[in-house]
Amino acid sequence: MSLEEPTPDDGAVETLPTGADEIAELLGDLVIDTETHVNAPGFVIRPDTVQETLRRLRDEAGFDHLSCVTAEEREDRYESIYHLTSFDDRQREVSVIVPTTKDDPVSESAAPVFRTADWHEREAYDLVGIDYDDHPDLRRILLPETWQGHPLSQNYDQDRPQIVTLDEWENPLAEDHREDEGDTMYINIGPHHPATHGVLHVKTVLDGEQVADVDPDIGYLHRCEEQMCQTKTYRHQIMPYPDRWDYASSGLLNEWAYARAAEDLNDIEVPEYAQIIRTMGSELCRIASHMLAVGTFALDVYGDFTAIFMYAMRDREKTQNILEDLTGQRMMFNYFRLGGVVWDLPEPRDEFFETVRDFLDDLPQALEEYHDLITGNEILQSRTIDTGVLPPEVAKSYGATGPVARGSGIDYDLRRDDPYGYYDELEWDVITEDGCDNFSRLLVRLREVEESAKIIEQCADLLEDWPEDEREIQANVPRTLKPDDDTEIYRAVEAAKGELGIYIRGDGTDKPGRFKIRSPCFSNLQTLPEMSTGEYIPDMVASLGSLDIVLGEVDR
Amino acid sequence: MVTPLQSQVLLPERIAGLLGLSGTIGQIVGGLLGAFIIANLLLVQTAVAGPWAKRKITAAFTDRIAVNRVGPFGLVVIVADAVRLLSKELVIPEGVDRPAYDLGPLLVPFSALLGFAVIPMGNGIHLADPETGLVFAFAASSIASLGLVMMGYGSNNKYSLLGGLRAIASNIAYEIPLVVTAASVVVFTGTLQMSEIVAQQTQPLLSIAGVTIPQWFAIVNPFAFVLFVVANLAEVGRNPFDVPEAPTEIVAGFQTEYSSVYFVLIYLGEFIHIFLGGAIAATLFLGGPAGPFLPGFVWFTIKIWAFYLFTQWARSAIPRVRIDQFLDIGWKGMLVLSFANLALTAIIVGVIA
Repeated sequence: MSLEEPTPDDGAVETLPTGADEIAELLGDLVIDTETHVNAPGFVIRPDTVQETLRRLRDEAGFDHLSCVTAEEREDRYESIYHLTSFDDRQREVSVIVPTTKDDPVSESAAPVFRTADWHEREAYDLVGIDYDDHPDLRRILLPETWQGHPLSQNYDQDRPQIVTLDEWENPLAEDHREDEGDTMYINIGPHHPATHGVLHVKTVLDGEQVADVDPDIGYLHRCEEQMCQTKTYRHQIMPYPDRWDYASSGLLNEWAYARAAEDLNDIEVPEYAQIIRTMGSELCRIASHMLAVGTFALDVYGDFTAIFMYAMRDREKTQNILEDLTGQRMMFNYFRLGGVVWDLPEPRDEFFETVRDFLDDLPQALEEYHDLITGNEILQSRTIDTGVLPPEVAKSYGATGPVARGSGIDYDLRRDDPYGYYDELEWDVITEDGCDNFSRLLVRLREVEESAKIIEQCADLLEDWPEDEREIQANVPRTLKPDDDTEIYRAVEAAKGELGIYIRGDGTDKPGRFKIRSPCFSNLQTLPEMSTGEYIPDMVASLGSLDIVLGEVDR
Repeated sequence: MVTPLQSQVLLPERIAGLLGLSGTIGQIVGGLLGAFIIANLLLVQTAVAGPWAKRKITAAFTDRIAVNRVGPFGLVVIVADAVRLLSKELVIPEGVDRPAYDLGPLLVPFSALLGFAVIPMGNGIHLADPETGLVFAFAASSIASLGLVMMGYGSNNKYSLLGGLRAIASNIAYEIPLVVTAASVVVFTGTLQMSEIVAQQTQPLLSIAGVTIPQWFAIVNPFAFVLFVVANLAEVGRNPFDVPEAPTEIVAGFQTEYSSVYFVLIYLGEFIHIFLGGAIAATLFLGGPAGPFLPGFVWFTIKIWAFYLFTQWARSAIPRVRIDQFLDIGWKGMLVLSFANLALTAIIVGVIA
């Protein structure tokens, strides 16, 4: 594990605590027990010291990225696990485990330390039933307010009838505003609105044309993905589900998230040849996904029927054709297997490589066209530059990742910082833009397409020259996988929208005991109020578009 | 005196003459029939423009094919769409403010049709030619704003309200530059009468190698023409100035709560407004129905369709400006430029003439 760069004026080389012993020393009495997760050391703390522990880890050990919060109910206790890592060095990881008793599942909230914990803890409360003390706004997030019971808790009665009432929404700011000074207007943007990119409901309070308050209301597309994965076997049955998280063409990237976590959990080595195929397929998915993001963003800013949307769909179609040749499917690929991929490149191989190369040859010209049409357009610039500003510190606190973080100048990309697949063997760059605004996020996506094209080209070269008798597409994986009881792992990959993490706890059977999905869109969407409060409605819509959320992944 | 391009006999008189009627009855019958003919000419063009040409043009800009299944070039889709739209359920939301809710969609197309009463379309298709023709055209088309407010306010929907407010803001901000720019043409012509404005543009500006270039005001004062076309885009609410509708922001603005026949009326009204905008631009700046070889009415149709094509082109290619930028452009840009144009024109005309 690499260490922080020493600051020159320090004299002595100062290193941040990274090993389990060093962190234990830093936390001192706060630690009541230790655990070992496959990915990181785990420290058990008392439920009333969460803020102190996390603050110390953040400020003194540089763990500034609360990647995920996993909650679950065990036989004898409730547990919240805070997966911490660092934006500067992704391979430094630590898990903070907070057990609470069954009778009184109250734990201190981490929201004052990491703002991203707000939504994550709300989800934990909603699905598992842990109460968070000191939480700014502890209410249900995925399920309706009137829901009875917590579906992922052990005594949940799923046959119990539920009544979901339709309340008339109240203006949450009505009390704050003096009537004679000016009125605010509450307006529901969504769940059916042209600009919400799916079933998202944004509770908005307007002051004239300006946004006074925004509260994204999610959960309309909640399909119990985590729970479904918990009822399926590791070997084959879980793999089709990731395609349905971020269904807007990043299927292979999602599959890789599950594959990576499950392979590391079960000590499976993926053959090099299969890694290259995975890398190539994933980058094709990334291009498709970014094309859709650029196209729909243009739609949000230009209005309907813009030419750019159709052009972007056309270029996305090309990658989908290649992916169809490779996987047999256009969107729901189900192409990865634990230990490799399901089949080799399509025959005749020459023809396939020709298709890929044709696509790559045309791409620079297509991108040139996008830059002419979009980024070079002065009206678009005046619409997007300095709107939806997300400063880097705020982005980090909210756990924003992917193009959203990189558009705020945060140099963070799991493909490079926590290498997997074949990425560390290839020549490519991580793109960052310092503008922190809607325009930067757009630029990052367009430029990342170029980088993905570089990766695909190198992969195609490697695959073409690969000796015929060494084309091993799958490792030898047992028919049934049964990780030991209480082995826990949190692994993430760089999906199109950012850090897509999977937490799995093995319980000794062939099915996961707990399966948790850390969705990048979920964390990114949380920044919307930060970006759009005080701006005009059109800018709020543009900011939402620039976040590039897919509700299937937000709600899971 | 130059010979007028079109016959001075207006459409109602000619119809009365053909029917052998005279006096008051002749005026009434001729006027009604003339209005009927002109309205139908426009409605036919709108029918082609709305369900068919709009799709074809947008498809051409976005590399698609669009309607081509029913009839030659997919033209019969116009009938299919008309039947489909009219046969849909007319949903009247709870708590709407009737009759404002019902009158709004009627005002929009009829105000635009009213404006066409004074437009000389060539070949004697000209319903009325009052001395205040130009003012009448602007006044009639402005009535539409009233309809937009009625729809926005009466719909009992916050998106409609926002759209209605935006429509008013845009009308005020862009109507003034539009009218002031038109006034700079009036400074040249010295009259508001449409036939006279058209007639003056037939005079030769200069001759190059035997080709006579007429004194179209778009050639005489291209700056005013550009200003007028831009203000006109805002007036008819097309990109980049389609903020009153802004589908991705406020759903559909003032027309959010309208379905079926009311929707058709609004839709019709918008297209007739585009054509009226094109017609006023053509009359003021492009010599009205004037043009070589082809009959006047054909030239007039080509000119208003050219403006229509322009609005569709803008819709496919230009981003929408934000509401505050939109008002800035109107009040700080267009207004200043249009007054500068008016003052300069007045000075030039005063010095030369």
